[in-house]
Amino acid sequence: MTIEEQIYQHSIHYPDHVALIAGDERVTYAQLWQRCLLAATNVRRLFGLRKGDRIILAASASMDFVYAYFGIHIAGGVCVPIDPDTNQTRYELIRESTQPVCTMGALHKVEGFRVLPLGEVCAAYEQMDAYVHPDEEQIADILFTTGTTGAPKGVALNYRNLAAAVRNINTFIENTAEDVELLALPVSHSFGLGRVRCVLSQGGSLVLLGSFASMKKFFGWMEQYRCTGFGMVPASWGYIKKLSGRKIGQFADQLRYIEIGSSFMSVEDKDLLCELLPKTRICMHYGLTEASRSAFMEFHTEHDKLDTAGKASPYVEVAIFDTDGKRLPTSMEGEVCVKGDHVTCSYWNEPEERFAQDFFDGYFRTGDCGYLDAEGYLHLKSRIKEMINVGGKKVSPMEVEGILNSIPGIVESACVAMPDPEGVMGELVKAFIVCDDETLTDTDILAALRPRLEAYKLPAVIERVSVIPKTASGKIQRLKLK
Amino acid sequence: MDTLEKVIEIVASTCDVDKSEVTEISMVGDFPAWDSMGHLAILNAVEEAFDISFEPEEMMEIEDVKDIVAAVNSKLQ
Repeated sequence: MTIEEQIYQHSIHYPDHVALIAGDERVTYAQLWQRCLLAATNVRRLFGLRKGDRIILAASASMDFVYAYFGIHIAGGVCVPIDPDTNQTRYELIRESTQPVCTMGALHKVEGFRVLPLGEVCAAYEQMDAYVHPDEEQIADILFTTGTTGAPKGVALNYRNLAAAVRNINTFIENTAEDVELLALPVSHSFGLGRVRCVLSQGGSLVLLGSFASMKKFFGWMEQYRCTGFGMVPASWGYIKKLSGRKIGQFADQLRYIEIGSSFMSVEDKDLLCELLPKTRICMHYGLTEASRSAFMEFHTEHDKLDTAGKASPYVEVAIFDTDGKRLPTSMEGEVCVKGDHVTCSYWNEPEERFAQDFFDGYFRTGDCGYLDAEGYLHLKSRIKEMINVGGKKVSPMEVEGILNSIPGIVESACVAMPDPEGVMGELVKAFIVCDDETLTDTDILAALRPRLEAYKLPAVIERVSVIPKTASGKIQRLKLK
Repeated sequence: MDTLEKVIEIVASTCDVDKSEVTEISMVGDFPAWDSMGHLAILNAVEEAFDISFEPEEMMEIEDVKDIVAAVNSKLQ
């Protein structure tokens, strides 16, 4: 059953149960369904949307975002959620690739294109269209990730993928209709959007906070709405800890679960969370946009395995393969591969033959390196791809290098990950540059980068070197720079 | 340069906006770059600029420029 059908069922069986909360506003399941239908009717009316047409949705978490997101699906469209801070180049590439009928929401760093405010999509209209159930194989969302070259890569997820991911996650976390979740994650990414689907499919209530930025509001709303859970990336925990110390411990009796996203988190931080929240199910996932939450672990019940990425999620298989596509036995290191209905059905605009190369014997190749131990726990060793993980957001070194190299005075550059000295973001971008202009300062370089890159992609450290180490074929040897 | 002026300068430079756009009531979320990462960067820059260090409880109360100025001034007294 699709998430939209599940929301419809809740609107029939529990019409007065609260689905969304934002500040003083509360929306019941009956109202949610009506407003999603209204958004669907409006996108059909405004854009003549036909089945399979794409709409780019650039927004942060709000009631209108939820109506528009499900409304696009209900109208038969494909939703392309993007960050409202997406830069001009990336937006133009995504637009070129998806050929959308419109872009909705707001884009802070893009000029020259019409972006329809969400209010207009959700405005009242008298005659509402009926809901037609989609085919499971129909594409519902295209999420753009950062490809290894820095060019955006569209991960297509069909209705079967989305429903399977929600079933897997809810089975592990044990969400119920009684849960009230505080949503502070960005909804343009797989994790945050996944939380919206998980809570609403289960009939729970979603409190739309939008961001972790204000800790006063985070704890204020948690108390006011008696929230029972929330999702965060390890960088969010670094932030919460830095700005509020041990305060989260005051909610130990209230918080039933926390879901933590996949990026590095120290065992000390995991232990601290266990100490502060002894009764909370603290679930950390390993996954990627192409295969959302492929493995899970719970900190209390699997406490002796805190240094692992957990075990395969419910209904998911994890296996390790060598470079020739041969399945490896326990304890042997190789590429982590996953199988299940949650695995992406295709990459947008990519031929099937190319997509087939991303699989070994039906298992999707994650690009991560690791091994499975005798108990089935996944130990991650390194990334085969060279992405830099800044607070859970992936940065392609090649994207930053490309822009650095275009700055007059920079001959060439190479970017690598460096540990965040503050211990908050996990990794930061470090740039090595070869300069032929001695007057070029770091301030000049950052000023040139800022309009063209999202803030988290900006190098935290710029080091001048005389040469960038390369292989005989000219490929940058990033490991030598670390 | 007084505390307010210096704080406005830090916020403007971190959020990549013009100083004239930042006022005493500018707060977290007012500029796209003033998200959690931006907030942390602002607080770090303020700590460095005034050679002070905030406790977590103090940081939690800081939401706008006015709060930052008050927190800095109480540290400098």
